[in-house]
Amino acid sequence: MEEAKNKTFDACSRADDFFSPHFYLPLFLRQKFFALRLVGSLAILGATLAFAPVGFAQVDKPSEATKTQDQTAPLSHDLSGVWMQYPEGDVPGTPGMNGVNERFRPPLTPWGQAQLDAAKPLSGAKAVAGQEDNSVLHCEPSGPPQILILPNPWEIIQIPGRVLMFFEVQHIWRTIWADGRPLPKDPDPSYLGYSVGHWEGDTFVVETIGFNDKEWVDLYGNPRTSTTRVTERYRRLNHDTLEQQIIIEDPKVYAKPWVSPPKLHKLEPGWELAEWFCVPDESKEYDQRVRKPSGVAPASR
Amino acid sequence: MRPQLTGSFGVFAVVLAFSPIAFAQTSQPSAPKKAPVASSAQTKHLSHDLSGVWMQYDDGTAPGFARMNGVDDRTRPPLTPWGQERFDAAKPLMGPRAVGGSEDSAALHCDPSGPPQLLILPNPWEIVQMPGRMFMFFEEYHIWRTIWTDGRPLPKDTDPSWLGYSVGHWDGDTFVVETVGFNDRVWADLSGNPRSEQMHLTERYRRLNHDTLEQQIIIDDPKSYTKTWVSPPKLHKLEPKWEIAEWFCASSENQVYDKEVRKPSGGAPAEPKQ
Repeated sequence: MEEAKNKTFDACSRADDFFSPHFYLPLFLRQKFFALRLVGSLAILGATLAFAPVGFAQVDKPSEATKTQDQTAPLSHDLSGVWMQYPEGDVPGTPGMNGVNERFRPPLTPWGQAQLDAAKPLSGAKAVAGQEDNSVLHCEPSGPPQILILPNPWEIIQIPGRVLMFFEVQHIWRTIWADGRPLPKDPDPSYLGYSVGHWEGDTFVVETIGFNDKEWVDLYGNPRTSTTRVTERYRRLNHDTLEQQIIIEDPKVYAKPWVSPPKLHKLEPGWELAEWFCVPDESKEYDQRVRKPSGVAPASR
Repeated sequence: MRPQLTGSFGVFAVVLAFSPIAFAQTSQPSAPKKAPVASSAQTKHLSHDLSGVWMQYDDGTAPGFARMNGVDDRTRPPLTPWGQERFDAAKPLMGPRAVGGSEDSAALHCDPSGPPQLLILPNPWEIVQMPGRMFMFFEEYHIWRTIWTDGRPLPKDTDPSWLGYSVGHWDGDTFVVETVGFNDRVWADLSGNPRSEQMHLTERYRRLNHDTLEQQIIIDDPKSYTKTWVSPPKLHKLEPKWEIAEWFCASSENQVYDKEVRKPSGGAPAEPKQ
């Protein structure tokens, strides 16, 4: 644990952490150890936070962008901007679609295993050309967590009581209610779920429930059900870097919480999200013109 | 919430100068637009805060098209030959030209919708204003659009898209949105009137009072219509307690609906367009 305490959260040292045992710890536990080191600066930290724009009522101060590696400086609560994953796939240089990371997946329940076995992913070890059946092939809406792991630009906008996320993929947007409301008790199943968010120190924590089971949690067929709960943890490490961690809990499917290593996203200040809709008729036309002639099965149900 | 503004200009100007005009607070409040100088006899100025969840009033003025006449058939100019051809080929879901069993609206295929059609659907929608930008969120199909209010001009030669590219600015009490860069895959309305890539769409918004937003849609599409198509303004009611619900058009659900409802009732299935 000494190692963990001394590491700064920057992109370079992070890479080594991914396969170290202590990295399995959820972020909040690791942060506890950091707090012990901060005893001397807590008074200052506390005073700063007391005046800081907690809860999005205001973001009066522009992001305190320059304090990067200094652990004693609070991180900015301004998460706004257009973000793009760093290309940190499991294979170096590949697009990072491992925000939900298979390597850290707990064992499945028997029911979960049956679902996974029946799934026909587009890519990865289980993919069989000609038999892919990912819901996105049919332009089914994508929601958390899968939409959070795709390597496309996305944008955060913060307004009082609310955080909005926009995704270039499928032109999807979601609302995270940051006005103190609790999660609903019995939400109807939906593609995006119902999300609430709050600040814990430097971390913006989003919790989402109320999913339907029409999409996987990742691209490989790992299931998402109406009992899935997704927690996202965001920290703006510095002006240009947003850290995102995804934690999945679903006792119906996974024997334990599935904690993936955090992923880093780069600020792209010159970008604007382009329009990108998934149109079912275009998907079918693509089947006719490209998939079938190439010998791959059409995306039919 | 914005109070009704009566009383002197001086007080009003001071209020505007120090109020954030409902833009989300970011690092600095956006410089408030100058208080509109009264050039008319009106002593009241309308709020520049258009934010909120809105819902069309049920005025039902167009027979057969309950509350969906923000683009109004009755004021439509003549069609060009191209426009007429597209209109004739369209198979609307409702209205006098609808034929049961032959409908072919884009909605049946889960195609995205876009302005102006998106603006006339009788479902809740929401405006969120920020410095340099306005968002509109539509419950129908969970669509969102950005209107750039940072002074940028319309693009000169933009690729066709479902939503177009929108810029907006204030003209006194009226927020004027202009959009170009449409594709021709969405009708301008629900009757099959065309939208071509040449359409230049103007929307004019005024917050008449705390609870009422006026919206007017003006279509300039020389490829489809021989003149500008000006529809009467429509009123929308503020719904302060509403939140936009999730509503996606998912083709898998469409297919289930075909099987269980449309076909047994004798309606056409949602087959892909050829």
